[in-house]
Amino acid sequence: MTAVTNRSADLGTLERLQRYLDVKELLHLEARLLDEGRLDEWLDLFTDDALYWLPIAADGPREPSIIKDSKAGMEERVFRLTKTLAHAQNPPSRTQHDVTNIEVQETADGLVEVLCNQTVHELRPGDAFHVGLASPRVFAARCRYLIVPGERWLIREKTCRLIDREYPMYNLTFLF
Amino acid sequence: MTVPASTIEDVHPLGEHISGMVREEQGRFRIHSDIYRNPAIFALEMKRIFERSWVFVAHESMVPEPGDYSTGVIGSQPVIISRGDDGQIHVLFNRCAHRGSVVCREERGHAASFRCPYHGWMYRNDGSLIGAAQRSGYPADFDTWGLRLAAVPHVEVYRGLIFANLSAECEPLMERLAHVRRYIDAWCDRSPEGRVLLPEGTHRYEYPGNWKLQMENGVDGYHGNYVHESFANILERSGERKASDISRTRNRVGAKNYAKGLPSGDGLLEREDGMLGTFDSSVWPAYRQQLVDAYGPERMQEALTQRNIFVFPNLYLFESHIRVIRPVQVDKTYVDVYPTTLVGATDEFNSARLKEHQRFFGPASFGQPDDIEIFVCTQTGINVDAMPWMELSRGMAREKLNELGECVGHSTDENPQRAMYRRWCGLMTAQEGARA
Repeated sequence: MTAVTNRSADLGTLERLQRYLDVKELLHLEARLLDEGRLDEWLDLFTDDALYWLPIAADGPREPSIIKDSKAGMEERVFRLTKTLAHAQNPPSRTQHDVTNIEVQETADGLVEVLCNQTVHELRPGDAFHVGLASPRVFAARCRYLIVPGERWLIREKTCRLIDREYPMYNLTFLF
Repeated sequence: MTVPASTIEDVHPLGEHISGMVREEQGRFRIHSDIYRNPAIFALEMKRIFERSWVFVAHESMVPEPGDYSTGVIGSQPVIISRGDDGQIHVLFNRCAHRGSVVCREERGHAASFRCPYHGWMYRNDGSLIGAAQRSGYPADFDTWGLRLAAVPHVEVYRGLIFANLSAECEPLMERLAHVRRYIDAWCDRSPEGRVLLPEGTHRYEYPGNWKLQMENGVDGYHGNYVHESFANILERSGERKASDISRTRNRVGAKNYAKGLPSGDGLLEREDGMLGTFDSSVWPAYRQQLVDAYGPERMQEALTQRNIFVFPNLYLFESHIRVIRPVQVDKTYVDVYPTTLVGATDEFNSARLKEHQRFFGPASFGQPDDIEIFVCTQTGINVDAMPWMELSRGMAREKLNELGECVGHSTDENPQRAMYRRWCGLMTAQEGARA
């Protein structure tokens, strides 16, 4: 991390500001696409070799995750949400993704690494007297993105470490 | 010394009414909605079912080394499951002998001793008292008072599954498991070495509903086509199964698709054409060969039969995982899903198996959250007093008793649930001291 920070320091202020704004625009766009349910457009923000990961504990072939999707897995997830009758999303979640504490770094291989916090406010509309509906919930995570810069910036990795990741959760079937 | 039984146990009038909540008549089996929503019934369940029965508390691999511990509750009483320096498993009440604080607040860890946060009393991981702080305030015979973290009266391990029983007297675990043991064995033998491990990381749920909704559902073979239509569509999209095939062949009559209710209140769903188990076929031949080498072809077939196994009241063994039902309140339940690693199978196989598991199980997955959603729908619906009954009558006319004493029905029948509620009713109406 130290080495990366030094590299950042080498950049001119304008250059750093430009990169920060590019990152911010991308993350805000992603948040808006998720919150507006434009999930096919959301998928298009990711590279073909993307990883979408919500870990529980360690990374490894035997260790379970909440989500560990390849691009194909993400497409399957979007298919479930948009094309099938998924009871856990009927009625579907309304979400608001807030992105804060953005830190931008450049890695040795030219990718942009972003650390940020995300807070998702979620609510499933419906009869307010029904258990599980019309109750706002808040989810908080420390996130890491790996971004491929270029003409169109693309996300290669999105990792969200929820603060309550190893504890019981009710319905995490919306997109974080 | 006689300890007075808790008040709910002795004076609550519910006891006499419980038997009316499970109504078995000619060709019909019904239970009353009150058992899902009445806090007094929940409190009685904790006392008469969870604190009197053999209950699953942990898997051995959660505490592999001396000094390892895991915490939990039995009914509503906090416990510590620890492995002592001698390698023995101890199940201790998590309650300082002095003034009642818990002495361990982590869920998992490693410790040679536990220190009470209140006045600093220290205990070894076998429960014995190392010492009280400022000892001089106590008389010379203090050490003879027998103060310690009390041990749960009965702890036994079967094939890595640690069970505990709070009753003063109870049948040995092997007697309790007599009917369901053969299935636990087959489940373990999915590992070429007959052992499973729990890796770090658990899929955990919380839902705002009663614990028995999960108990009933895990061996309910009737709901799949409706609750898991979404998953069937996903398998169709990926080309793994055709949706039309799934609806035609799942639970087809004539195939080896059974639901079983055991006299012990345990239950099984047994299917040769279940929806899961479709993962990466390239890893299967080598694995099958391993099982044939270890056990022979017949035993392999037995081990690979798709089964959901329920061990009353809180344990499920599924193909890919151990599932523990943890009642919190009458309308709040935790469900812990521990994916298993099959010892002796290749990393490649275990990894593919975990991937398949994760697709269906876990709070963000494509299967189990849909079940949970139905529990939540039910928790609202059962408030209708004009329609208080749950119908668990399906298949009563066609169920048969087999030579093992199992009540066998079609995989969509509700005979496992009937077995559960006969057991439930028996325990809930049993008098103090009854063997469970």
